[in-house]
Amino acid sequence: MNSSRPSAQHLAGIARRIRRRDLDMIYEAGAGHLGSELSCTDLLVALYFGELQVDPDEPSAPTRDRFVLSKGHAAGVLYVTLAEAGFIDPAELATFMQPGSRLNGHPDRKLVPGVETNTGPLGHGLPVAVGMAKAAKLRGESWRTWVLTGDGELQEGSNWEAAMAAAHFGLDNLALVIDHNRFQQGAAVADTNDLAPLADKWRAFGWHLHELDGHDFDAIFAGFDVARSTRGRPTCLIAHTNKGEGISFTRDRVAWHHRVPTAEEYAQARAELTEVPS
Amino acid sequence: MEIVNRPHVQNFIRWAADKPEVVVLSADLTNSCEVGAWRDTYPERFFSLGMAEQNMLGFAGGLAREGFEPFVHTFAVFIYRRPYDQLAMSIAYPNLPVRLMAFLPGITTPGGVTHQAIEDVAVMRATPNMTVLETGDATEVESVLDVAHAVDGPVYVRFLRGRVPRLFPRTEPMVLGQARVLHEGDDVTVLTAGITTEEALRAVPALADAGVHATHLHVSTHKPFDDPTVLAALRRAKRGVVTLENHTIVGGLGTAVAELMAEHAVGTPLVRLGLRDTYAHGASQAYLMREYGLDAMALVRAVERLTDTDTGLAEDDLAKVRVEEVHSLAKAEAL
Repeated sequence: MNSSRPSAQHLAGIARRIRRRDLDMIYEAGAGHLGSELSCTDLLVALYFGELQVDPDEPSAPTRDRFVLSKGHAAGVLYVTLAEAGFIDPAELATFMQPGSRLNGHPDRKLVPGVETNTGPLGHGLPVAVGMAKAAKLRGESWRTWVLTGDGELQEGSNWEAAMAAAHFGLDNLALVIDHNRFQQGAAVADTNDLAPLADKWRAFGWHLHELDGHDFDAIFAGFDVARSTRGRPTCLIAHTNKGEGISFTRDRVAWHHRVPTAEEYAQARAELTEVPS
Repeated sequence: MEIVNRPHVQNFIRWAADKPEVVVLSADLTNSCEVGAWRDTYPERFFSLGMAEQNMLGFAGGLAREGFEPFVHTFAVFIYRRPYDQLAMSIAYPNLPVRLMAFLPGITTPGGVTHQAIEDVAVMRATPNMTVLETGDATEVESVLDVAHAVDGPVYVRFLRGRVPRLFPRTEPMVLGQARVLHEGDDVTVLTAGITTEEALRAVPALADAGVHATHLHVSTHKPFDDPTVLAALRRAKRGVVTLENHTIVGGLGTAVAELMAEHAVGTPLVRLGLRDTYAHGASQAYLMREYGLDAMALVRAVERLTDTDTGLAEDDLAKVRVEEVHSLAKAEAL
């Protein structure tokens, strides 16, 4: 994919549009996880518009890359990204978390095209992804499995069980992207159950480790290239991000994990997220 | 009665020969769950995940998502307790064809409370999309593979290992949702599942000789629980119904029968025999079945109470209990 990757400027425009629609959606629904979604928006844009071999016209194509959003509470920005990528009708975003909508607060793979797994309870995505990546190895198929987790999520022990298994199986077709925004729901990760030294942990578990700036598209793609070129073991990309990135007053503020903006806050945030030509 | 030594071992190898999508997952209880020879026969389809059950169940979901049919082999307690969140959210909710082969159900383990799966049927019955089966003899150990294989969704199987009696002819395999009618009578209806069926087989003919006539059903499908044969048998009982289960009386066979009776206005007394909302302690299966009232004499006494009868039956009047040889001689605890 790297030869045909869009420019960082183009992707920044897409990311701005997605952040704005996500803000609208959460404001309209009166619910969502704004801070958690803004921190991983650039990562999702890089994945869907510069890396994943997926086709909205054939969302279940056997040879597609698999993407598992393990931090399922960021479903909102996944839906907006899937709409931007053509998997679902953008008009449907207005139904987010409304009665009868298939766009639930956490994603359902049976309802929404492009969603690979049901996630929400943290620590589920990586074990499932290890199974998917192993399945590709068993069949000798070349598609890749990508997982996006939060950082607080890594407090769940299931991730480390899966980390052991992925390294044991030598799953170099599996890449984990950690949205390392440093905050969990109630406080900073470091003040809750500290993960540091996070990079050392993944190295010790037998993964190839690469750190990058999760809001710099060139850096993100360089990391993706590292993952794809690593042989014999899985790759962990620690993406350094900011919770609430893109809106001045939500950035690095733990309260915005799932706060819904007031009318005044919404107006200011929307002004900050003015669309730029792509 | 024929006693079959480890019926699962060769049967599962034969059965899987033409099913390349079938894979086996183990959490370091490979020989304890009788799949050591399977591993040696199909090494490319066998995965030991170590003692990491949360990952094992998520991994199973991932494989199933991609068209494989994982048969998870471990002790029952390590399937439905520790990794229940993964079981529910990574397997049951997406309705994936994962087969959960749950060994040492109830008090069949000598390992004590920590290894006794006494509320698994309750938990699995309460889990949407889950089919819940229980094997009661060698024929069912062999034929449950076809039954589970045919289900488009997850299946939990209470599984028997070691020396297993053959109570039912090979020509009468387990059928999904169909109870077996083992004896007929109008006074009471007795429902059993798993290892308690053998106990009822000791008691019911003796009761008939003493003038109390029971219909005896063996249940191998706990969910779905909508067999018309069961409902007809419940309606037939003039004096009452007795359930006998290797499980707590909360949420298992007795509860399923109570639900069915209430929903269909079957107005006859129900006695639920099983663990009475208690953990059992660790001991031999025979001792525990006696101690906690899961054996043939407990059934006789329950039927006597329901029918206001004193049959005069004592343990010596019943068919002999077979010598318990479920566990390995090589390892005292047989875990």
